[in-house]
Amino acid sequence: MWGGGAVAPEDRLDGAATRRVIRRAARLGRPFRRTMLGAVGFVALATSATIAGPLLVRHGIDSGIRVGDRAQLGVTIVGYLVAVTVAFVGSRGQYLLVNRAGEGFLRELRLRLFAHIQRQSLGFFDENKAGVLVARMTADIESMSELVQWGLLQFVSAGILLVVALVVLLSLSWQLTLVALLVLPVIVLASIKFQRDSNEAYLGVRERVGENLSSIQENLAGVRVIQASARVPEQRRRFGESNRGLFDAHLHSVRVSTWYFGLVELAGVVATALGLAAGGWLVANGSVSVGTVVAVVLLLASLFEPVQQLSQLYNTVQSAGASLHKMFAILDTEPDVDERSGAIDLPANGDLLVDGVTFAYPSTSTPALRDASLAIADGERIALVGPTGAGKSTLAKLIARLYDPDDGAISLGGRDLRDATMRSLRDRIVVVPQEGFLFNGTIADNLRLARPTADDAELRRALDRIGALQHIESFPEGLDTEVRERGSRLSAGERQLVSLARAALVDPSVLVLDEATSNLDPGTEATVERALERLMEGRTVVVVAHRLSTVQRADRVVVCDGGRIVEVGTWDELAEREGGRFAALVAAWRSDQPVG
Amino acid sequence: MRGLRDTRWDHLLDVLRDRRRGLSLAIATGLVWTVGKISVPLLTREAIDGAIDVGGSALGWALVIVAAGILTGSLTAARRYLAFRESRMVEMILRGRIHDHVLGLHPGYHDTAQTGQLMSRMSSDLNQVQMFVVMLPLTLSHLALIAGVSVVLLITDPLLAVVTLVPLPFINLTARRFSNAIHPAVLAVQSEQAQLSTVVEESVAGVRVVKGFGAERVRMEALTTEADDIREVSMRAARVRARFLPVMELLPSLGLVAVLGLGGLRVLDGSLTIGELVAFNFFVTLLVWPLRSIGMTVAFAQRAAAALERVHEVLDVAPAIADPPAPVDVPAGGGAVSFRSVTFGYSDSLVLDGFDLEIAAGESVAVVGATGSGKSTVARLLLRFYDPTSGSIAIDGVDLRDLRVDDVRRAVGIVFEDTLLFNDTVAANIAFAVPGLDPSADHERIRSAARAAGADEFIERLPEGYGTVLGERGFSLSGGQRQRIAIARAVLSEPRVLVLDDATSAVDPSKEHEIRAAMGAVMRDRTTIVIAHRPGTVAMADRVILIDEGQVAASGTHVELLESNPRYREVLAADSVRLAAGGES
Repeated sequence: MWGGGAVAPEDRLDGAATRRVIRRAARLGRPFRRTMLGAVGFVALATSATIAGPLLVRHGIDSGIRVGDRAQLGVTIVGYLVAVTVAFVGSRGQYLLVNRAGEGFLRELRLRLFAHIQRQSLGFFDENKAGVLVARMTADIESMSELVQWGLLQFVSAGILLVVALVVLLSLSWQLTLVALLVLPVIVLASIKFQRDSNEAYLGVRERVGENLSSIQENLAGVRVIQASARVPEQRRRFGESNRGLFDAHLHSVRVSTWYFGLVELAGVVATALGLAAGGWLVANGSVSVGTVVAVVLLLASLFEPVQQLSQLYNTVQSAGASLHKMFAILDTEPDVDERSGAIDLPANGDLLVDGVTFAYPSTSTPALRDASLAIADGERIALVGPTGAGKSTLAKLIARLYDPDDGAISLGGRDLRDATMRSLRDRIVVVPQEGFLFNGTIADNLRLARPTADDAELRRALDRIGALQHIESFPEGLDTEVRERGSRLSAGERQLVSLARAALVDPSVLVLDEATSNLDPGTEATVERALERLMEGRTVVVVAHRLSTVQRADRVVVCDGGRIVEVGTWDELAEREGGRFAALVAAWRSDQPVG
Repeated sequence: MRGLRDTRWDHLLDVLRDRRRGLSLAIATGLVWTVGKISVPLLTREAIDGAIDVGGSALGWALVIVAAGILTGSLTAARRYLAFRESRMVEMILRGRIHDHVLGLHPGYHDTAQTGQLMSRMSSDLNQVQMFVVMLPLTLSHLALIAGVSVVLLITDPLLAVVTLVPLPFINLTARRFSNAIHPAVLAVQSEQAQLSTVVEESVAGVRVVKGFGAERVRMEALTTEADDIREVSMRAARVRARFLPVMELLPSLGLVAVLGLGGLRVLDGSLTIGELVAFNFFVTLLVWPLRSIGMTVAFAQRAAAALERVHEVLDVAPAIADPPAPVDVPAGGGAVSFRSVTFGYSDSLVLDGFDLEIAAGESVAVVGATGSGKSTVARLLLRFYDPTSGSIAIDGVDLRDLRVDDVRRAVGIVFEDTLLFNDTVAANIAFAVPGLDPSADHERIRSAARAAGADEFIERLPEGYGTVLGERGFSLSGGQRQRIAIARAVLSEPRVLVLDDATSAVDPSKEHEIRAAMGAVMRDRTTIVIAHRPGTVAMADRVILIDEGQVAASGTHVELLESNPRYREVLAADSVRLAAGGES
């Protein structure tokens, strides 16, 4: 019944890596060692009771039935009942304990991984795709939960069963066992082949499923284009092909397992036949009893199941190993923007100084910002303008220490940002991103993101300070309104208001803004504008500007181009400058003509 | 008629009827397999009683058993293969039906339908159905096996048979109860996993907010809550397993104890042989899996029924836009368009209210209006994505509703506001609107369309030129490049009427001139409707109309309206507050 797992060839671990993964997993699982030991105890209990069955049958036949001793038969029955009860208790215990240890381990892994990912700087998030990070935390760990729920248990119990059954069989009659086990090599070889083929087949199915799902998604997302292009029949035909491909992959995977199951069935029967043939001869010889023959034949049946289980589990264990390996790689990544030891608080306010800063994003070689210097007075309002890729957003991010410069320094009130405590940094300098990004939860939850300890009155004050209190309180549930995933229940403007209120709650001395490029709903646009204006009052403001009105309200304009600061000055100075970059931008806007 | 009986199964039964041959073969194979399965313990009995117990050679019997093993082994493989093949086939056919049906449904349906929901109809719901279908032939042979074994046991020793068989139905019962108890627990685990996934996704997507406010600890608390919840519901599922699974293992063991105890006494009486005792033992083990699986089948059937009901809901939606019973051909003409007192709204809000517009063949008209004024609705109605509530829309004098739907859409080409590129080559993406055009054979036609759209130059510079694969998993293009591909796509289909829905809005303003040049080239001598925000784009059209309150509020050239109409100035101004150099760096 195994859905199984599979491991792609490139993810397969070599011996050394496997040992490392096991060692680290063991270290991570140390808190659950006792539970795990208890679980193994229960597994051993249940397994030995399973093996005891055929032995008791042997005793019943040889010492009871064949010699006519009813008392011995009674003893056997009582023994059997005890074994059955022990198996029952052991089985219950193993399910509970294995799961307790396993789920505890997975919880630990989730927490560690998430905490570690969160400690990373933005550079880490640029380098690692969001989808991959999410997959590590979700799909990869979930794939291991199957192993935790069933696999680990089966793995241990199959292993114990296999060893114990072999020992018992050999001690009952080594001759009989050896003859009957002539089929074992065939089973082992078949299992190895099956394990390889099924791994490959599983990967094939997974790929086809992914391909099929994305072609469904593409067709649903593009249904208007498809219909407008009168292309429905063609897309249906193509989907038919994809559908057929998925079917073929499934069929291939069934074929791979089908012959194996047939062969295992056959081998079981052949082993019985061999046991009976050899048993008949040995009984006639007088070297074994009839009861022994029966016990061996019954035990043989319990030998094949564990071999099958182990071969099917092998792929799952491998893929779990590969997942763990990737997770450990993340846990090994040291955060590159972190608090220095002996860091001290930033001063409450002061001039912001950008001094000869050069910075390149981790995955690129050309700097996004070169040798940028800028002195911003306490309380001054600066607008950053320039075309796409000019470096204005980069400069804003560096000012908020979302990255550290490669060269040069940024300081507030004379203190280098890298020497400051993270807490004081986030209290003094706040970035409000382009789009109001909200998290699942209530509006209050979203505001408290900025200050977890704030009470409702403080939240209201923050909203009031930017003039948004009335709007939020007009919702039936006010602050307790659930905003849903990514704030989807609120309009873009309302999301922006909550986002601005967050900043107001922190009450920073420096505000870094990335202005929205897209239109807001007309109803809230004006409210957001006002809120922004009130938030900016009395603070040092650096705004990445897209709106003309914002630029006009700034004390000074900084024009970026090609990663350099090319012009700095007031609107009037720059707009009048003959042949200036900013003058060209303003002219282009005024005439709505393309700029070269 | 509907509603009086259970119609949920209709679609499945229909497909099963189509597959009746394969299914019959699967069932027949299962029945023969049953005979093989029963024969092995019987032969073992003969070997013990006829040879081993009396000290004779069991070699002959062993050979017969091997022969039976070969038969059973092959049939085990065959019945499994056939059952899975048929179930996957059924799944494939149903998936194709749902897909084809949904793809043909009117856009009004897609406005409200959620992609994720439709996708789970075609994946997880069909998975449930498949799991049930695979059990059908298997369960039939399991029933036959149970019946066969019971008969054999009853013939051998009726009393022992009854005592042995008594605990076994409880396996079936427990399996069914287990399946029903574990299902909600598994769903709960999945739902908690989804919640954790949301926290992770949001934290990663909103990393700038998290970092910007130093909110790592708050997010960590949210995650800890979810991780704790997962552990809790998983343990709940584990407790369900711990409650049922050991019972299912216990019950057959009790049967075995009964066999040994009562059977042993019968052997002592001389009314039963040792071989028969061993055979009883084998038969009890043989019945365990069939009994469990029948219990599971019942539970699977319930889940399949629920899944089929959801599938049924989708397949039951009738397309609202369809060909008329007696369609007429599109008459010869240059693409004159007329809207006559058209009224239309989505759900309850009225968008167009007595809208009149006549566009001469070859004329280009820019449609201007505030957000939500119905500009894009005009385009969608012309494509017959929706039918007007009242009034009529005609191309070259024929009402759209009298034409074949595909003919309408071949006559009207559109460049949408947001360009959707498919996961295919550039050439195939351009050839998209001309089904039957072979991108490799008609390369020159595709190129000249690309040239007209001003796209040829950048396409040639792509890593593999026209063979470069685009889309979500392929090469990503800039907004302006995507738009030009879309324009080339529309040009290649040579429509009578071309609709450019906001073709410049997604483009960095400094690149806007490239699109405008392309638009200018394709608008020449073709009826064109341009839906636009930016004055530069509007100015390219022969005539401008202003939509306000569901009607044409003004009509004239750009310059005329700019001078005479304050509302027009207002609408245009609201749309161009942006500085001429935006975007992110």
